[in-house]
Amino acid sequence: MSSRERITKTMLWALVGVLAVVTVARFTRGLGAVTNLSDAAPWGLWIAFDVMAGVALAAGGFTLAAAVYIFRLERYRRFTRPAILTAFLGYVAVAVGLLYDLGLPWHIWHPLIYPQPHSVLFEVAMCVMLYLTVLALEFSPVMLEHPWFDRPGFRTAHRLLKRATIPLVIAGIMLSTLHQSSLGSLFLITPYRLHPLWYSPIIWVLFLVSAVGVGLMMVTLESYFSAWLFGHRLPREELAGLGGAASVVLLLYAGLRLGDLAWRHALGPALALSPAAALFWFELALSALVPGVLLAVPAVRRSRRGLGLSALMAVLGVIGYRFDVSIVAFARPAGAAYVPTWMELAVSAGIVSGALLVFIFFVEHLCVYPEAHAAPAPARAPRLDPFGVRPILPEALAAPRRYSLALVAGAAAALGFLPGAGALTGRPTPVPVSPVRMVEGAITTVGAASGHRFALVQTAALSGAETRRVWLMVIDGNRDGRLVVFPHDLHEQALGGDGSCVTCHHANLPFQRDTACAACHRDMYSHTDIFDHDAHTAALGGNAGCVRCHVNRDGPKTRATAIPCVDCHAGMELAGSRVRPELRLSGDAVGYVDAMHGLCVGCHEQRVKEEPAKHPADFARCRNCHRDVDGGALERLAPYRSVHGAAAGVRLGG
Amino acid sequence: MTAKAILTDTTRCTGCEKCVTACKQVNGLGPDQPRRWKLRIDDLSATRFTTIVRHDGQFVRQQCRHCVEPACVSACLVGAMRKLPEGPVVYDGDRCMGCRYCMMACPFEIPRYDWAAAVPYVRKCTLCAPRLAEGRIPACVEACPEQATIFGDRDALLAEARRRIRATPARYVPHVYGEDDVGGTSVLMISSVPLDFLAAGKVTDQPLPELTWAALSKVPPLALGVGGLMAGVFWITGRRMKLQAERLDREAPGGPDAAAGHGPDHESDQ
Repeated sequence: MSSRERITKTMLWALVGVLAVVTVARFTRGLGAVTNLSDAAPWGLWIAFDVMAGVALAAGGFTLAAAVYIFRLERYRRFTRPAILTAFLGYVAVAVGLLYDLGLPWHIWHPLIYPQPHSVLFEVAMCVMLYLTVLALEFSPVMLEHPWFDRPGFRTAHRLLKRATIPLVIAGIMLSTLHQSSLGSLFLITPYRLHPLWYSPIIWVLFLVSAVGVGLMMVTLESYFSAWLFGHRLPREELAGLGGAASVVLLLYAGLRLGDLAWRHALGPALALSPAAALFWFELALSALVPGVLLAVPAVRRSRRGLGLSALMAVLGVIGYRFDVSIVAFARPAGAAYVPTWMELAVSAGIVSGALLVFIFFVEHLCVYPEAHAAPAPARAPRLDPFGVRPILPEALAAPRRYSLALVAGAAAALGFLPGAGALTGRPTPVPVSPVRMVEGAITTVGAASGHRFALVQTAALSGAETRRVWLMVIDGNRDGRLVVFPHDLHEQALGGDGSCVTCHHANLPFQRDTACAACHRDMYSHTDIFDHDAHTAALGGNAGCVRCHVNRDGPKTRATAIPCVDCHAGMELAGSRVRPELRLSGDAVGYVDAMHGLCVGCHEQRVKEEPAKHPADFARCRNCHRDVDGGALERLAPYRSVHGAAAGVRLGG
Repeated sequence: MTAKAILTDTTRCTGCEKCVTACKQVNGLGPDQPRRWKLRIDDLSATRFTTIVRHDGQFVRQQCRHCVEPACVSACLVGAMRKLPEGPVVYDGDRCMGCRYCMMACPFEIPRYDWAAAVPYVRKCTLCAPRLAEGRIPACVEACPEQATIFGDRDALLAEARRRIRATPARYVPHVYGEDDVGGTSVLMISSVPLDFLAAGKVTDQPLPELTWAALSKVPPLALGVGGLMAGVFWITGRRMKLQAERLDREAPGGPDAAAGHGPDHESDQ
């Protein structure tokens, strides 16, 4: 084994190690924790790359099988085994990728028992399932050639499979034609969401033709890869033939794509100066126009560099086409972006690495390259391997250990990068509550039926006999500018003056007498645990102090069985509050929004019910307090703008 | 059972969100939480099947439109989405694979996913199908204090919608949203402002499943055609090679033995 081979394999094993760790996160934490998928981008990297592009890149299998077995272009026979192996491993990778992407992967077999034949995806699923079987059968003779299988039962199977080659090849071509095209048909149902430059009634033809072209290019790249890795000779003459065929197919694809737009008089957006048009031309040039034209020149397709570069462009370009259709050119609400997380990238890279390792394994142990296999491997002189542990370990131990080390190192690296448990469980991002602000304002009573008018700071607009200056409380816990202006003094008066504080202020923190709402309700939306167990343990003398609160020595020591806080902190809980007793002092403070709504709305509703005549019509409606519900950013800040003496006053019921 | 529907008149909506609260109660949905996959906390989400959006000074209630020929139903490969004869489009999590093609296919971008869950399901309005089965009306309709959203036979509601537009033409856009859009929907809307923003684009009256069926119905002939073509080509190439081998046989000086390797021997390798 060359050191190039060894280093490549070590790197692939490291990527598989990363995959292993991300796999655990994916299946324990869920899609939301691992991916950047969202309601705005339901399909992401795993569909675009692992499925859409993966299937297209594996098209070389059926294309080469058709060329060699059906059209009997014998000179390409050398490519069939690697092409079919690549296709088989490619489709296995597609299936594995799907297992990561599906929300309920253990239901992946459901199309078999709940068929819904009106769904394009059903047809794709069935074809891929069947084609995977066909590919396994097509490739299994290569496996059965191995001396280990030289036994009676396997010999019979080998003979039968060889006899079935032609029917299998024809079935493979049928299935491939169907699902390669149907992957495009998937998007026929999204005429409003897929950009007009990509949406087309013949998108299924475009997918099929581009897949055939890129399949040939992929076989080419795969030859370059094995030539680089295993030191095989590059079959230049045959590759040039493949390049010529690919040139025709890719140019046909480009022609169909442009011709379709022209035929439907939809070329307009492509000729406009827009990001979409730029992307369209870039993708089309990369996938088809440039490689198609380059490969049409015999000198280019016969040159090692020209052919390799063209094949690389076509492969990247067609991957780009699949990406554009399923992600980039697919409509999302304004402001919603999709960029895959490193974990999504790690899964895609890990699956490809795994497939490559299996490919290398098969090449090493089976006759995948017949002509290379026939020739005895050139004897290599032993030489120093600077990357390995081989020099210090016995041969039998050194080789496998290196890969385990790579796997473990990759896994450890992945663990190091995995975000903390909080982010992985998909918990909401904390939104801490900022304290209320007291602002000087003015108030005008309009009348019982319409309530009061308020203005923040001072304003000439509110001059009048009934206007007086007050302190107003501005409630904006998350500081997003959507304010509630709360006349604290008015509430105090209405609720009965000095003794009325407890109506709302139901609890104080220990040693405080004026605890603000936000002191306990510290998060806008989430519950906050306001009981500090550690502080209590420390203050009460460590383990000896347990029984001070957990008075039942034998029973379970939970929060529910502990004594209430007020047994020690007499001043914390205040009698006579409107806050429902069952919600009090459990150590669990509900989110700020829920706390505010729970307190204000209930009281307002009760007032309207009890004394309808004394309150404005919308006294218990949202708009009574939320005067500025999303009326645009400037309008929301209208209370502040009145500083400049504008006529705007905020009216509140009171 | 006749097809039922909801008619929402945005000009009557005050944005009180009682429908949202009622929906959350009936469906047992938790509080809305800010997630990185949500643009705004009051967007539709796995915990919010209906919501009120402000558009052009109007309150517009957003919910599943329960299309007459739903794209999601046609897209679902395991039949987890179903259209009931009385109107609702309902979802069966026991069948779902979680491929999310329904979310891609919906022209109104309605189905949401429970991204936070390790076992996620598609979540969306059911038109209160379980309540309809009990003979009750949808919770959102029941909760609406302004009768801005009402429930009844689809035909009757269509007539009512047209009557309202005729009675006060100045108040409404002269279009009953959902009458024929994407083949008609079971949630009808009338409004003083255009509601095209609710869909991903300017929708036509063509039902979306027709678009894919046009391609899908070609599958059997395509499959047979390709299979037949390949078998034909195989036979022709084989025959040509055989004839060529015979010709070489005749021309070869060494007789038949010398050309033995030229036959159409597809089993020679693999």
